[in-house]
Amino acid sequence: MTPLLEAEDLNVWFELPGGSELHAVRGISFELEPGERFGLVGESGCGKTTAMLTIMGLLPPNASVAGEVRLNGENILARGEESVSPHRWNDIAMVFQGAMNAFNPVQTVGAQIEEPMHLHGIAEGKMARRHVEELLERVGISKDRAARYPHEFSGGMRQRAAIAMALACEPKILLADEPTTALDVMVQAQILELLASLANDFDLALMLVTHDLPIVAQVCDRAAVMYAGEIAEAGTIDALYHTPRHPYTRLLFAAIPDLHAGGERVASIPGAPPRLDRPIVGCPFQPRCDKAFEPCPTVTPRLKRVGEAHDAACHLNDLVREATA
Amino acid sequence: MSAAIQGTAAAEGVDVSAARRPGSIRSVAFHEPTAIAGLAIIGIFVLIALLSPFLLPGDPKEKVGPIFEHPSASHPLGLDGGGADMVKLLIAGTRVSLLVGFCAALVSALIGGTVGLFSGFYGGKTDIALMRMTDYVIVIPDIPLMIVAAALFGRSLTNIIIIIGIIYWTTTARLIRAQVKSVRERVYVKRARALGAGNRRLIFKHVLPQVAPLLIANTVLLVAYAIFAETFITFLGLGDPSVISWGRLIENAFTDDAILNNAWWAIVPPGLCVTLVVLGATLFGQSLEDALNPRLRVGHLSVRRFKVRPLRGKLDSE
Amino acid sequence: MRSFDFVAKRVLFAALTVFVAITLNFVLFRTLSGDAVSALRCRQCTAQFKAYQREQLGLDKSKWEQYTIYLQGLAHGDMGKSLRSERPVTEELWQPLKNTMPMVALGTLFSIVFGILIGVISAWRRATWADRTGLWSGLAFYSMPPQWLGLLIVLFVAGALGLPTAGIKDPTLGILGDASTWEVFVDRMRHMILPALTLGLVLYGEYALVVRSAMLETLGEDYVLTARAKGLTNWATVWRHGLRNALLPIVTLVALSLGFIIGGSITIEYVFSYPGIGLQVVEAIDQRDYPLLQGAFLLLTLSVILANLVADLLYFKLDPRVSS
Repeated sequence: MTPLLEAEDLNVWFELPGGSELHAVRGISFELEPGERFGLVGESGCGKTTAMLTIMGLLPPNASVAGEVRLNGENILARGEESVSPHRWNDIAMVFQGAMNAFNPVQTVGAQIEEPMHLHGIAEGKMARRHVEELLERVGISKDRAARYPHEFSGGMRQRAAIAMALACEPKILLADEPTTALDVMVQAQILELLASLANDFDLALMLVTHDLPIVAQVCDRAAVMYAGEIAEAGTIDALYHTPRHPYTRLLFAAIPDLHAGGERVASIPGAPPRLDRPIVGCPFQPRCDKAFEPCPTVTPRLKRVGEAHDAACHLNDLVREATA
Repeated sequence: MSAAIQGTAAAEGVDVSAARRPGSIRSVAFHEPTAIAGLAIIGIFVLIALLSPFLLPGDPKEKVGPIFEHPSASHPLGLDGGGADMVKLLIAGTRVSLLVGFCAALVSALIGGTVGLFSGFYGGKTDIALMRMTDYVIVIPDIPLMIVAAALFGRSLTNIIIIIGIIYWTTTARLIRAQVKSVRERVYVKRARALGAGNRRLIFKHVLPQVAPLLIANTVLLVAYAIFAETFITFLGLGDPSVISWGRLIENAFTDDAILNNAWWAIVPPGLCVTLVVLGATLFGQSLEDALNPRLRVGHLSVRRFKVRPLRGKLDSE
Repeated sequence: MRSFDFVAKRVLFAALTVFVAITLNFVLFRTLSGDAVSALRCRQCTAQFKAYQREQLGLDKSKWEQYTIYLQGLAHGDMGKSLRSERPVTEELWQPLKNTMPMVALGTLFSIVFGILIGVISAWRRATWADRTGLWSGLAFYSMPPQWLGLLIVLFVAGALGLPTAGIKDPTLGILGDASTWEVFVDRMRHMILPALTLGLVLYGEYALVVRSAMLETLGEDYVLTARAKGLTNWATVWRHGLRNALLPIVTLVALSLGFIIGGSITIEYVFSYPGIGLQVVEAIDQRDYPLLQGAFLLLTLSVILANLVADLLYFKLDPRVSS
């Protein structure tokens, strides 16, 4: 069965002023099944947001893309903007990082939710307005708020309105980029619950991009960990947490402060990710890795299968394989 | 004229990583092409001004030939309506115009900076009072005020410098006030206060250094305004009659009927000098301001599209 | 109610500023006149003559009395008499004002239209040649002294286009029989075009630059990315989300630049000998006609205050985030 959304060997470069190139996404591949909840995790700057934007072709003019993004088997990046734009909002919709600013301050929220409905011919006039009200109520906002302006909404409400807006054209895939960053903890939990319940009710495939692991653990079934533009490890949440097969994953999960384990220091990973405007030799994580050994600085590890639907890109796994061969 | 022109001289490009950190003046001044261009232009004129005593033996106004004589080998820019050599007049004018520009800008920066500093730092009633006053001053149209003040207080160079300085401080005040307010909220100022630092110490040791670069950038822009203003005042006959400035040269060309004589060499060069210096100062000052107030953004819309490359095959370490 | 609150506050502030302006006007010119009379040097300027002048100008009374008289006069629309012509100042200024307004309006319209056009195109086609042309032409015109530009236009353009470069009417019109309204209109326009063009070019520079940067700022906003994600085309997004939002700083700028418009038009009218209020100001200075100067100055200040008020209200209308 073809997955709903598939990315294969996705690469994104940005031209920098001065002539050099930033290789932000370095050959990643992933899949999304209908109704599945998938997380893309990593530090800021690892390329996860860029990867997500690429799915919808929302790249600036100085970007170039290689690889395929297949929606129901069809490569929507084949002709760049031309082939990807028809699918926006209809098939794939997005909730942006800092949805605070996703709304135009001089238009009412209702008008902005209605806008894509008109655009894609989903609904007009009164019907559209009723649809807007239904959506708002579904996300927990009273319908008479449709005539209000964005600055009259609280942060959490605006995020919920942004989610309502994303559902305006009944997409099958919802991308969410850091949907809960900059919201306070109580509101975060509400938003996550909302996303999960909407995914259930509308049979949405949900792709969550975040640096915040607990969120992914709470909402997603599967996840991929990105580092320096590449996928370090991918698998079920369970597998990633209990049997991580990449030192970065292990350290990431260990870095979550555990309030119940008294006295333990908060683990953090020293060092910084490598620069993406230069070629990377060997494993990108090697300089910060506590388990680096002989091949790591010179040989780039490939993403290999290490368990049931579990892949990792680390030379250590070859050792294990050899050991168990 | 407003200080609201932003980003005009900023580098075109996309910084995909997090917003660019504020650069220091030095890093911008010597790396940004527009800043370099602006600085170079100003530099050339400053050099001319400084060297003028050596370049001008004798009185530049001295009549050396018939009025409005065409440019020739010995007088590359011809002669003006009084028979004086245009090149010499321009050089003399450089000194005066730049002097007025810099001094008046300094006066403005001092007033505006002080008002902004106190307004932003003390807040409350002081802030409200000072800002009200600023609002009233802003509303008065500058040129008529300058005209009236010049007519009132006399036409000496000093007076003109003071008048220009007194009129243009308002945008600086607002800019500095905003900056001071944001600096004040920053952690280390609070920390310093927690350690018992008095107000004066806070202002001079902590707030002022943070605000100084922006003030400098703004002062450069003020130089442009001031030189502009001087040409206004002089053109209307309110300039210092004993002094040659570019504004005076333009005025002379007008009153001596250079147009009737088709003497473009008396008209074009002085105005060109003003334009160039103002351009240079604007470019330089604006790049500085942009660098210190970084608001680099990605444009989400463009007619140009992102490009698609053919699949290259797995990328090994290059 | 939010609207009423805001409008009331703004109007109150404007009224207050008007009052301050009037007072400032009074103080400035009283000093001017006083000094002027003392400084008079002419054969008839004996002590008695100066005393007579003082009395004429009301300078012999106390400051407060003079102030009250001035205010009363203003309330009745009386701004004193011109020293030169002995006619009421209001009369002297009326025609020049009628001459200046269409010229300035034409020039400002030109600059706004082209400023917005070039600014939008520049921002939209960022970093292309179109952008660079717009940017540099804007910067260049912005840096030129208006009088110099005027002189250049007279020198190089007027002759080529066959347009007059002085005054507002052709003195020969109407000599050989009554001129029709159309002919008069055309004549006025021909005289108005060059000064208006000069003013327009000088202003255009600043507007183009600000529109460009306002658009760039707006186009970098998240909601523009969202609009694009929702499937809006470039043009629809530029119009609906970009320009509409960029209008806000544009409105502010136009109001702020009114002072510059006034200053610019003074010098431009001087260059083109265009008999507007700007030229009146220059002549009044020359002839030390202080009551006239005072009246003109007050008028100019009041118009700036009015324009700022209009801009404030407009901004309020355009931006729902603005509250009192």
